[in-house]
Amino acid sequence: MNTPFRLAKHPRRRPQPLMSSPPAGYFEQLPTRVMARVAAPPRRPLAWRWPVPAAVRTALASTLVLGTFAASLWLGSPQGRPAAAAGLDAVPPPQLVEYLTSGETHFDVQDLADLPTRHLGLTGHYLTPSTSELTAALDAQPTDEAELL
Amino acid sequence: MEDPEILAKFRDPASRNLAFNQLVRKYQQKVYWHVRKMVVDHADADDLTQDVFVKVFQHLGNFRQDAQLFTWIYRIATNECLSFLQSKRRRFFLPLNDVSAELAAKIEADPAIAGDEIELRLQKAILRLPDKQRLVFHLRYYDEMPYEQMAEVTGTSVGALKASYHHAARKIEEYVTKADGPAPTPP
Repeated sequence: MNTPFRLAKHPRRRPQPLMSSPPAGYFEQLPTRVMARVAAPPRRPLAWRWPVPAAVRTALASTLVLGTFAASLWLGSPQGRPAAAAGLDAVPPPQLVEYLTSGETHFDVQDLADLPTRHLGLTGHYLTPSTSELTAALDAQPTDEAELL
Repeated sequence: MEDPEILAKFRDPASRNLAFNQLVRKYQQKVYWHVRKMVVDHADADDLTQDVFVKVFQHLGNFRQDAQLFTWIYRIATNECLSFLQSKRRRFFLPLNDVSAELAAKIEADPAIAGDEIELRLQKAILRLPDKQRLVFHLRYYDEMPYEQMAEVTGTSVGALKASYHHAARKIEEYVTKADGPAPTPP
């Protein structure tokens, strides 16, 4: 059985544990090195090209922050939507479907599930499959991946 | 130079640098070894010791003398050590890069401890403690700091410090005892 180790009986090395001493002359030089650091000039912040009073700087900063906030609100509003989205609305639905099924893009079941319900009748005026045609088309889809067309 | 004289001279811009120089000379060894015990490596201890005294210089003018000057300096040094170790642990987020293991490796490589197996096991046991508990252990075991002063340094209650030291001592004793290995069986 091991002899239990007891801190109280272990010869205490004070004031520090057994560690190698710092290099010779370390404590003679340390005050000089510290004084050199505290005497070093502090890093100057970015200087303005012209003397701007603090009140003006505060006003400019506030304007910038509020302006950024207002811009983000406007961009999120319907009026702020990019023109491209509006342009896309003008493309006839058959052309959209032709593009989507051309093989240049791929979409999966999740994409279809995310479609708003109002687009379900998109192909109704030029695609009229029978029930058996639909079943055959669905059965032909691969089951190991969710990618269609 | 006594602490009140140092503080008085520090307040005078004409004698500030002289006073601070005296302060550094007075406390540098205590600060250095306090830091070195925590971070083990001399280069790290050197950087941190300098950082401590730079902060002392920057804030000594605001020192309210509601505690002893050395207690206040020790508190700065303690916070610097704990912040350093914490940032080191955040950088070494992979289990393979264990800060405690790194410190233990440095202890093993220290020529001063070579050949003293019990002392090596003791130091490795101490390094296994959480940083704050290790700090408490150092302050009590090596510095023999009164718990009341330790409470000012660490911002922890006396009761919690006593419990922390007691648990640290038990953990260290268990580790060193187990690390001794099983006794050889008689033929």
